[in-house]
Amino acid sequence: MERPELFTLEHVSLVVDGRRILDDVDEHLHDGVATAVAGPSGSGKSTLLRLLNRLAEPTSGRVLFRGTDVRDLDVLALRRRAVLVPQRATALTDDAYAEVRVAAPSLDDAAVESLMRRVALDPADIRGRVPSSLSGGELQRLCLARALAVGPEVLLLDEPTSALDPRAGDAVDAVIRSLVADGLAVVLVSHDIVRAGKVADDVRVLHEGRVTARGPAARLDLAHELMSPPHDGHVHDEDDPRTHGETHAVHRHGATAATDPAVDALVDALVDPAVDPVTDPITETTTDRAPGRREQEESP
Amino acid sequence: MTDIPSWTAVAVSVLLVLVAVAIASWQRLGITREIVVAAVRAFVQLLAVGAVLAWLFAHAGLAGALAWVVAMTVVAANESRRRGHGIPRAYWSALLGIVTGTAATLGVLVLGGVISTSPQVLIPIGGMVVSGSMQAASLTLTSLRRSAIENRPAIEAGLSLGLPATAAFAREMRTAVRTALVPTIDSTRVVGLISLPGTMTGLIIAGVDPLQAIRYQIIVMYMLLAAWAVSALVTARVAQGAMFDDAQRLVPIAA
Repeated sequence: MERPELFTLEHVSLVVDGRRILDDVDEHLHDGVATAVAGPSGSGKSTLLRLLNRLAEPTSGRVLFRGTDVRDLDVLALRRRAVLVPQRATALTDDAYAEVRVAAPSLDDAAVESLMRRVALDPADIRGRVPSSLSGGELQRLCLARALAVGPEVLLLDEPTSALDPRAGDAVDAVIRSLVADGLAVVLVSHDIVRAGKVADDVRVLHEGRVTARGPAARLDLAHELMSPPHDGHVHDEDDPRTHGETHAVHRHGATAATDPAVDALVDALVDPAVDPVTDPITETTTDRAPGRREQEESP
Repeated sequence: MTDIPSWTAVAVSVLLVLVAVAIASWQRLGITREIVVAAVRAFVQLLAVGAVLAWLFAHAGLAGALAWVVAMTVVAANESRRRGHGIPRAYWSALLGIVTGTAATLGVLVLGGVISTSPQVLIPIGGMVVSGSMQAASLTLTSLRRSAIENRPAIEAGLSLGLPATAAFAREMRTAVRTALVPTIDSTRVVGLISLPGTMTGLIIAGVDPLQAIRYQIIVMYMLLAAWAVSALVTARVAQGAMFDDAQRLVPIAA
């Protein structure tokens, strides 16, 4: 089944103070699925997400939302259609119900409670609570409800589980899956490629600002890809004409391309058999965040 | 009225500088030279200001007095801008805040017939208003700068929900204006209890009846409340306009 295109990045590069954060990213993200952008810290993945709702502007190239240049859309309307949930769950009010209403003040209590249930929060537990007193996982889900309240077409999630312990992270992942099952598109960014692969239908691997692999999550052994130096599994169209056809085959088929022989060829090209993903968890290779510490701060 | 000290009396007061110098050198504080320099500077600066004011009072008239007040606002804005280091157009934010605070307050006082338009009144009162407006602008910029850096994640969380900058930044704006107003509210509340304020003190020393002197002081306190509030609000509004770009993004604020 062909999915309509949601976001199109056309040769997008972003340079800050002479540093190339994103380097000629040319991607097609599809509607109705969860797409993960995975990569180590500093790979430019959060910046890529911020390009989609215009919190950041490319130095060159274009970003299209449903075929229209995002610069030609009203920026506030764009951000309500493509709501970004930042990496660190941040409460903007002193009351859980008010938190859900931050950008949708006309919602009545019943609508707020329905949104809470949608993110697996029990309104009876939450009523009257100060959001900052919730656990990290509850606050993250409350932030998802706050985002859903504006009625977005796609959620942009920046590291939705990186600050959470594994159980709280699983609960958030389950909510994300259920939202996608209901037809909501999701673009999520994660340094934890194993986790991202479980949540997403479609994965892009970003390394030093370049997409080094792409394809359906079910078929890509992405852990290998992440830990390989960028030139190893490099499938960027310009640099590797051999895989040109394969990568586009993946695009066309989106999440359902798992049985395409071209994808098998791509996967073979990506996987470096010398690396064992089990003995070297991805999460330990990133050092810019201290999830345990933040979890502690955000828990009551 | 009262006895204004003669120059001979001033010369006698130099003995008090010598007391401070004696303590500094006796205790080897290493600040003897600084005390002398400070005392000499104070003498020279006040002599110059006295001479300038004497000339202004004699020759300036209303236009000259207003020009003097305008010059003070420019100097004051230049002081305030440093507090907003990293905020784009911090100078203009402070200048507009100080000018508006000063103009609104002096305007009400003059048009209401509360104070006269003679340079003897406009220049010292204007100085108080400009100084208060400057402190309000400085505190506002300090607060805006700090919250833009510290609360960036929360501000961007609001922007990411499609909130306009004015809504995503509303808490920070309120905090900035409130922070700026706290000192003047505090000093207004305890006036007369902790210290006798300058206007009243000066009038009493000059021989004015205390019950008359406090009338002036009440007007000055109320005037400063208004000046601080207007200056803080205008500075915050102008700065907010410069801190967000056309795409409703918080611009980078240098730490």
